[in-house]
Amino acid sequence: MEEYERCVRCGSCLKFCPLFQVTGEEQYSPRGKAYLLQVMDQIEDDQELGKEFRQLLFQCTMCGRCAEICSSDVDLLEIWHRQRARALETAPEEFEYLESLRESLANVKNIYGFSPEDRAVFWIDELIDELPNIEDRIYAPGKTAETVVFLGCLMSFRATQVDVVKALFKTLEKMDADYLVMGAEEFCCSHPLHLMGRDDAAVDLRKHNKEVIEATEANTLVTCCPGCLIQLARYHDLEGIAVLHHTQFFARELETLAPSHSAKNFAYHDPCELHRIMNVRKEPRALMDMLDIEYRDLDAACCGGGGLLRMTDPNLSDKIIEFRKESENLEDMVVLTCCPSCREQLLNAGLKTRDIVELLFDSLAEGG
Amino acid sequence: MKLRDVAIGANASIYYKLDFKRIKGVFYPRTTGELSQVIKMASEKGLDITMKGGGSGLSGACTGGDSERVMVSTLQMNDIISVNLKGGYADVETGVTPDELNARIGVDGYKFWVAPSSRDIATVGGLISTDGGGNDAWVNGTMRDNTIWVKMLLSTGDEITVSHEGVRADDSELEARLNEIGMNLGDVASAHGTLGAITKMRLKIKPIDGQRLRGGIAEFEDANALGNALAKMIDKQIPIAYGESIVYAHPHIKSILNPPLLILEYPEASHDVLSDITNMRQLSRNETDAMKAIRLQLPKRNPNEGVQIALFEGYGFHDQSLARLQEAVDRIHALLMENEFVPFAQYGHAPSKWYLGDNTPAYGIIMHSREIQPADKSGIEKFKVVKQIVNLCKELDITPKPEHKWIFSDKTKLDRLRELRSVVGTRFNSFVLDPNCDRILEAMA
Ligand SMILES: Cc1cc2nc3c(=O)[nH]c(=O)nc-3n(C[C@H](O)[C@H](O)[C@H](O)COP(=O)(O)OP(=O)(O)OC[C@H]3O[C@@H](n4cnc5c(N)ncnc54)[C@H](O)[C@@H]3O)c2cc1C
Repeated sequence: MEEYERCVRCGSCLKFCPLFQVTGEEQYSPRGKAYLLQVMDQIEDDQELGKEFRQLLFQCTMCGRCAEICSSDVDLLEIWHRQRARALETAPEEFEYLESLRESLANVKNIYGFSPEDRAVFWIDELIDELPNIEDRIYAPGKTAETVVFLGCLMSFRATQVDVVKALFKTLEKMDADYLVMGAEEFCCSHPLHLMGRDDAAVDLRKHNKEVIEATEANTLVTCCPGCLIQLARYHDLEGIAVLHHTQFFARELETLAPSHSAKNFAYHDPCELHRIMNVRKEPRALMDMLDIEYRDLDAACCGGGGLLRMTDPNLSDKIIEFRKESENLEDMVVLTCCPSCREQLLNAGLKTRDIVELLFDSLAEGG
Repeated sequence: MKLRDVAIGANASIYYKLDFKRIKGVFYPRTTGELSQVIKMASEKGLDITMKGGGSGLSGACTGGDSERVMVSTLQMNDIISVNLKGGYADVETGVTPDELNARIGVDGYKFWVAPSSRDIATVGGLISTDGGGNDAWVNGTMRDNTIWVKMLLSTGDEITVSHEGVRADDSELEARLNEIGMNLGDVASAHGTLGAITKMRLKIKPIDGQRLRGGIAEFEDANALGNALAKMIDKQIPIAYGESIVYAHPHIKSILNPPLLILEYPEASHDVLSDITNMRQLSRNETDAMKAIRLQLPKRNPNEGVQIALFEGYGFHDQSLARLQEAVDRIHALLMENEFVPFAQYGHAPSKWYLGDNTPAYGIIMHSREIQPADKSGIEKFKVVKQIVNLCKELDITPKPEHKWIFSDKTKLDRLRELRSVVGTRFNSFVLDPNCDRILEAMA
C-alpha cells in the first residue's frame, strides 16, 4: 500500500500549511495533494493534469509541518520526496531549471556554478584583516583538528552571510577552539538533490565530503546550515563523529556568557529543518537564555525559503514571508534565527535578522 | 479541467471518488458579493451549487454527488467581522473555524462553546449545516443552540436571515411565505447545504467561567453498564462540562485504555452525585489532558498496518437503547466481521445532546466508529455494508444522528427540506434529495 493511501483526509493539516495559507486553495494543501494521489487513477490519462501535478509537487516548502500535525501518522514528507523523484524521472524536460542546478553540483560542486576554488575566497577576503591567521584554518591534506567546520554553499558564497561567517570564526577563535574549515575541499552537502528526490546523484558529493572529514581526524563536525546538518548527520555515513548544528556546539561548549544589553525587540524563528526534522529546539533557546535575551517565539512555521521553493516558485515563496511579516508583525522586530536559508528569506523581505552566533560573539567581545 | 477542479473533492468521507467531469467550475469567493455572482452565473447556466467548508463532513454531502454543478469553497470567507463581548455574540463569515474564533476571543476570556473534534478545520457554516456538536454538547448544546442567526443567499439571488424566531428578507412576499411554513434555524441546522449558501452568522459566545473542574475516568464491565451510567447522569442532569466515551478500542490503539470507559470533567460540586452512579478514578490536570488528547486523535488514527475507514458515523443511543448498548455493539461488530471489516475504534461524546430529524432533542451517546479497511474491497462492496448497517440500526432502534454519516435515511428531515425548497429554490446540493442518492454515493465510495 502506498503511504498516501493512509491519509484519511480529515483536513487538520490545511491551516498549518504555508502554501495553503497564502493561496487558500485545496490543491496546494497537503490534504489536497494526498487526495490527488488517491484519485490519480481517474485523472492520469490527462497529460496536462499530470504536468500540473508535477509542478505542484515543487510548490511546497518541505517544512514537514503537515507530517508533524498528522494524527494518522502519514509520513507526508517522505511522500513528497518520493513523488518529486518520480516527477523528475517521468518528465525531466519539465525541470530544466533544476537540471542546471544538478549539473552545477556535478561539475563545480556548489549550487552557484562558481569555481570550486572560490569556496574559501570571498569570506576570507572579508575576514583577513580581523583574523590574519584564518588561512591557517583551511584544511589541506595532513592537517588535523578536533573540530571541523562545514560552511555550506550559502555561507561560502553569499555576501549576505558574511556577518555570520565572521561571527562564527571570531567566536571559535575567542574560545581557542582547535578547528579547521573544509575550504575548497568542501563539496555541496547534496541537500538540494535530496529535496529534488535525486539522492542517486548525491553519492559522489557525499563520498568526497566523508573522505575529507575523516581525514581531518575531527571528533566534531559543526555546520550552521540545517540543510547541511540533515545531510551530514543522516546521509554521509560518518562514524564516531558528532555532527552538530552550531547552536548545539556552542550550547555544549559555553558555560556562561555576558548578558546581552541589547534592548531590541527580538523574536525567534525556528528553522523548520532544524527544529522539526533534526529536533534541535532547546539549544538555540539555551543560548538566548544564557545571553539573557528577551524574545518571543514566532509561530513554528516556514519562512517560505525551504524545499527549493525560492527556485521553483519565488512568487509563492515571497508571499509566504510577506504573510508572516503581516500576521506576526515582524516589521519592527529583529528576527533571530540560525539558518542561512531563513536569513536570506528574511533579508529578502526587508526584515532585520541576526544569527544567534552574532549575538554570541557580541557577548564574548564584551568580555563574557 | 485543472487540478483545482479535482482537489475540491478532498473530503473526510468515504465518498471521495467523484466524477470530476461533472464539476463545471470551482470557486473560492472572498466576499458575499463574489459568492452572489457565482450563484447568479450557476443559476443562469442551470447548474447545481454545492457549498463546501472544511470538507471534514463524514456524509459525503460536500461533494455534490454527481450533479452538473459548481463547487464553492468557503475557506476564504473567514473573517471574524466583529465581536460584541457585552452582547455575548460574534459576527463571523461562514468559513471561520471554532479554533479561529476561540483564538480571537480567548484573549478576552470568552469562548465559543461548540467543540467538535474537528474544530481545527470544520467551518461554522459546515457545522450549522450538519448541526455539529462537541464534547460539551450535553451542557452547551449543538451548533443550532449556539447560533443566533445565519444569513443565506438563495439561488434566486435573495438574501434571507434565519433565526430561531423565523425569517427576515428584503422581499416581504418571500419573507411571508417562509414564515408561513414556519422556517427557522432548526431547518437550516442539518440542511446539508440544500437550502442556500450561508454567508454570515451571529454566534453566541460566553465567558470562560473559571469554575474548577475535576477530571475523572470511569471504567465499566461492559457497554451496558456504561449506557446505564449515562442514562443516570442524564436523568440527574449532572452538568458534565466535558464528556467522552471510548466504547471499544482495537489492541493497536488500546495501550493504556481499558474500555468501555468515560472520560469526564465536572464541577467539584457534582462529585458526590457522580460517585453514586459510578466509580470514578480522579485524574490530575495532566492526566486529563493526556486522555483528552488520546480521544481527540482517535478519529484520525490508523492501525499499525493498513488504513482506517469510517463506514458509518453517528449511531445514536438514547433513552431505552442505552441499556442495550452492549448488544448493539456486539451486533455491529458481528456485521462488520462478517464483511471482513475489523472494528478499530468506537467512541463518542457522552453524555451528549443532538437533534432528531423532527427537531426534538435526544440525549445519550452518539457513537462514532472506525474500522480497518480490508485491502481488496471495492467501493460497491463497502457501500453494501453501509446499507446493512443502516438496516441494523433500524432493527435495533438506534437513531443515527441525521447530520452525520447518514442524513439520507431521515425521511422527516428530507420531506421538510423538500417543502422548504419549493419556496427557496432547488439549485443547492440537489443530490441529497435525489431518490437515487444511494446509487450516487455507491459510485463514489
Ligand atoms: C476527525 C474528525 C472529527 C470529527 N468530529 C466531530 C465532532 O466531534 N462532532 C461533530 O459534530 N462532527 C465531527 N466531525 C464531522 C464534521 O467535522 C462535521 O460534520 C462538520 O460540521 C463539517 O464541517 P465542514 O466545514 O468541514 O463542512 P463540509 O464537510 O465542507 O460540509 C458539510 C455540509 O455543510 C454544507 N456547507 C458547508 N458550508 C456551507 C455554507 N456556507 N452554506 C451552506 N452549506 C454549507 C456542505 O454542503 C455539506 O453538506 C468530525 C470529522 C472528522 C474528520
